[in-house]
Amino acid sequence: MPTTPTYTILTADRLIDARGGAPIDNGAVLLDGSTIAAVGPAADIRAPEGAPAQTTHYAGCTIMPGMVDCHTHHNGFGDGRLGDDLSLLPDEILTVRSARNARASLFSGVTTIRENGPKNVTMFRLRDAINEGLAIGPRMVLCGRPVAIIGGHMGYFGGEVTGANDARALTRQLIKEGADYIKIVATGGTTRTSFPTLPSFNLDELRAVNDEARKFGKLTATHSSNSAGIANSLDAGVDMIIHCYHLDADGTVNFREDIAERIERQGAFVNPTLQVSRATAWDLTHKRDEQGLTAPEQAEFETARANLDVRLDHTRRMIDMGVKVITGSDSSWSSYQLGNTVYETELLVHAGYTPMQGVLSVTSWAADALGVSDTVGTLEPGKAADILVVQGNPAADINALWNVEDVFLAGNKIERGSDDSIAAVRQPPAPI
Amino acid sequence: MSYAHSRFTLLKAARLIDTAREVVQEQAAILLEGDTVRQIGTAETVHAPEGAPVQEIDYGDATILPGLVDSHVHLNGIGDGRAGDELATLPDEVLTVQAAENARRHLYSGVTTLRDCGAKNRTTFLLREAVEIGIVPAPRLILAGRPVAIIGGHLSYFGTTATGTDECRAAVRQLIKEGADFIKITATGGSTRTSHPLRPSFDVGELSAICEEAHRFGKHAAAHCASSQGMVNSLDAGIDTIIHGVHKDPDGADTYRPDISDRIAEQGVFVNPTLGQGVARIRMLEDMDSLTPAQQAELDTFRQNSDARMDHFARMRDAGVIMAAGSDSAWSYYPMGDYQTDIEAHAMAGMSNMEAIVSATRDAARSCCIDSQVGTLEPGKQADVLVVNGNPLANLPDLRQIADIFLAGNRLDRQALI
Repeated sequence: MPTTPTYTILTADRLIDARGGAPIDNGAVLLDGSTIAAVGPAADIRAPEGAPAQTTHYAGCTIMPGMVDCHTHHNGFGDGRLGDDLSLLPDEILTVRSARNARASLFSGVTTIRENGPKNVTMFRLRDAINEGLAIGPRMVLCGRPVAIIGGHMGYFGGEVTGANDARALTRQLIKEGADYIKIVATGGTTRTSFPTLPSFNLDELRAVNDEARKFGKLTATHSSNSAGIANSLDAGVDMIIHCYHLDADGTVNFREDIAERIERQGAFVNPTLQVSRATAWDLTHKRDEQGLTAPEQAEFETARANLDVRLDHTRRMIDMGVKVITGSDSSWSSYQLGNTVYETELLVHAGYTPMQGVLSVTSWAADALGVSDTVGTLEPGKAADILVVQGNPAADINALWNVEDVFLAGNKIERGSDDSIAAVRQPPAPI
Repeated sequence: MSYAHSRFTLLKAARLIDTAREVVQEQAAILLEGDTVRQIGTAETVHAPEGAPVQEIDYGDATILPGLVDSHVHLNGIGDGRAGDELATLPDEVLTVQAAENARRHLYSGVTTLRDCGAKNRTTFLLREAVEIGIVPAPRLILAGRPVAIIGGHLSYFGTTATGTDECRAAVRQLIKEGADFIKITATGGSTRTSHPLRPSFDVGELSAICEEAHRFGKHAAAHCASSQGMVNSLDAGIDTIIHGVHKDPDGADTYRPDISDRIAEQGVFVNPTLGQGVARIRMLEDMDSLTPAQQAELDTFRQNSDARMDHFARMRDAGVIMAAGSDSAWSYYPMGDYQTDIEAHAMAGMSNMEAIVSATRDAARSCCIDSQVGTLEPGKQADVLVVNGNPLANLPDLRQIADIFLAGNRLDRQALI
C-alpha cells in the first residue's frame, strides 16, 4: 500500500536559506516529512500534483535554518560554579541536567549542538534517551569526554591521558563509545589545578590525538586559551581553535598576527567565546546592584569586562584577516546558560560581522565547522527539515533571532511549552 | 502583627471535597499561607487576616480537593509494554532521565505525592537530589529505592537480592542509609521471567527480619503479593501494605480467601489493589481498530482477571479492608500521568465517587505514612491542592479537567516544559 507523503509548506515575509545570498522575499519551504523538498519564492513552491499539503503562513516573519551552536556544555548550570564543583555531581544528575538544558536550547531555536565537555558518558546516555524517545533535544555532535592532561583543564570529566600512546588509546575509546569529534584541551583553563597561560599537551601528544581522529574521519577542536596552545594546535593540524586567546606565557595580552595568519592559511575555524565573559560581567553587575560585591568579585568583574573588550578587538582583527569565525556559545559554562546562544552571535556582529554574516555564523558556517553541512545548516532540497521561524528580519537586526515563532526539528514542530517558561530562560542583560 | 512576609492565597470554588470527613463543602473557600493550609469554609467565613496581601482566585463551577496521592508508581517505567527485565537493561542515566520525565508528567496530571515502589540502583534517590537542586519539578517523593527480592525473584534485576535473615537486614539497612523512606518487598514472583508469580518468594523468617528492621527505623514495609500464600506470609511477618493483594492458589485458581481478608482487616493492613493496571490495558485494547488473535486472547485474559479482581475487591471491602489507590504506572502498558484510570477502576469495582477519591487521597496518604502532611485539606496540612473544573463527585472523569495545581502552596505552570 502506498503511503501518503506528509507535505508541509511554510511561508513568510522572507526566507534566509543561509547559502550566502540575499533573503528571498515572500519565501517558502516545502517539507516532505523530515526532509526539505523545495525552497524558493512562495509563488513557485507547491506540493506535487494531487498530494495533500498543510500550509502555514507566518506574517512578519523570517524562515531560516535552525541554529547550530558549535560549543555547549549540557552538564552545566551557568550559575557561576566552577567545573571543578560541577563534576562532583553524580552522572545521573548531570544527565538529567543535560536533558533539561537540551530542551531549553532546542526551544530557543538551536537544532544542532556540539558538546564540548561533559562528564564520563553522560551525553552519550542523553542521546540514548533521545533515541529511545524518552527525551527531546537538538541533533548532537558529541565528544564524550575532553582529552586532557593529568590535572589539566576538564581533567575531572574523566579523560586524562599521558603520552602519545595513551592519547591514541583514549581517542579510540571515545570513538568506540560514540564520539563524533574529539575535543582536546591544549592549554589550562578555569580548572583549579591547570595553568591557563601555558600549553598542556606536548606536540607529539596533540598530533597523536589529531591523527587518530583523522584516521576515523573525525574532526578535532582544541581549547586554546593562550598563544602557545594555539601554535601547538596549528602544528598538530586541528580543525577548530576554541577561545583563541592571544596571551603570552606571562599573561600579557599580545595579538599575534603571525598566528592569526596561520589560522587563516590552514583554514581552521575559530570559536572566540565572547559572551561567556559578558555573562559574568552581567551577573556580577546584577549582584552589585542587589547586594554589592566583595573585593574578589569586583576584581572578577573588571577582568571579565577587560577580557570582553580585548577579545572583541582580537575577534575583529581575525575577521578582517579572513579567519573563519563561527558561533559557539560555551553555555552552560561559567555564568552563561543554554538557551541564550543568540548573545554570542550578537557579539560577533559587534566584532564586525554584518547581521547576515551573524546568521551564517550560527547556521551554514557553523554546520561547515562541525562537518554536518551535508544534512543541516542551510535550507536546501534534501537537507533535514530543521527550521527556525522568527518574527522580524535577523539579516537587518540580529536580535530578531530571539523572537522565536516556531522551531521544526526533522520536520516536527516542537511543542515548546508556556511563554512564561520560555521567557524565564533568557538571561537578563545589564549595563556594563 | 505584620504580614509583610506572609504569602496568602485564597481559593474559591463551587465545592471543596473534605476527604478527612468525607463531606462536601459547598460555596467553598480555602486560605493558604505559604506552604500551609490555614482555613477552610465558605466564601463568607474564610478571609485573609485584615490588611494582609492576598492573591484571590475564584474558579467558579469547579471543585477543590487535596492533591492526589499515588501510592504506587514505577518512575523508571516507560509504559510501552516492555517487560521489567528489558527495562532494567537500560543504563541508570537513561532511567533517571525517564524518572524525571515521569515525575513531571504525574505532577502536571494532579498527583502531588507519589510512592515509588521499585527502581533500579540509585536512580530514584538521584532524581530526588536533582529535584532538591532545582533541576526538575516533581511531586513529593516517597521512595523505596530498590525492592528487596530473592535471587531470581520479581524485580531482582533492579539491584537488591537477599538470602537469609542477615542479608535481609543488611539490605534494609543499606537502603535506609541511601535514603529509602519505606521498604518494598517482593513476597511472591511476578512478571519477572525467572520468578514464580503463584509462589511465595521469601520465607516468613526473612520477611519478618525485613519488616522488623524497617520498623526499627520508623519505616513502613509494603509487599508485592501476586498470590495468596505471599499474603499469608506477609501478614505473619507484620507487613504494613499488601500490594496487588491477589487471591490466587498455587495452581492459578482465583479462589477468594475470606480468612486472609479478615486477617488483613484485623491487622489494619492497607491493600493497594492496582486495578487500574488492568483497566488501562483493557481500554487500550478496546480502543484499537482491530485486534490480532494474540491481542484478543490478551484482552479476554485481562477481562477475566479484572472481573475476578473487582469481585475480590468488593468482598475485601465488605470484610473491612482499607483500599489505597496506587496506579502501578508506568509499569507494563500504563504510562504515568493517568492516575485517574486507577481511581475510576475503584469506582467500577463498587466504590462511590467520594470513596474512590478518598482512596486516592486520604487513604493513600495513610498507607504511605504521610497523612500528617497531605491527603486531606485541613488547617496545618501542606498546601497541596488540586482544582478541577466540574464535579468529580457527580462525574468522576472530571478529575481529568484540571484547572490548577498547588504544590506546597506554589501554583504550578503546567505548560512549562523546561
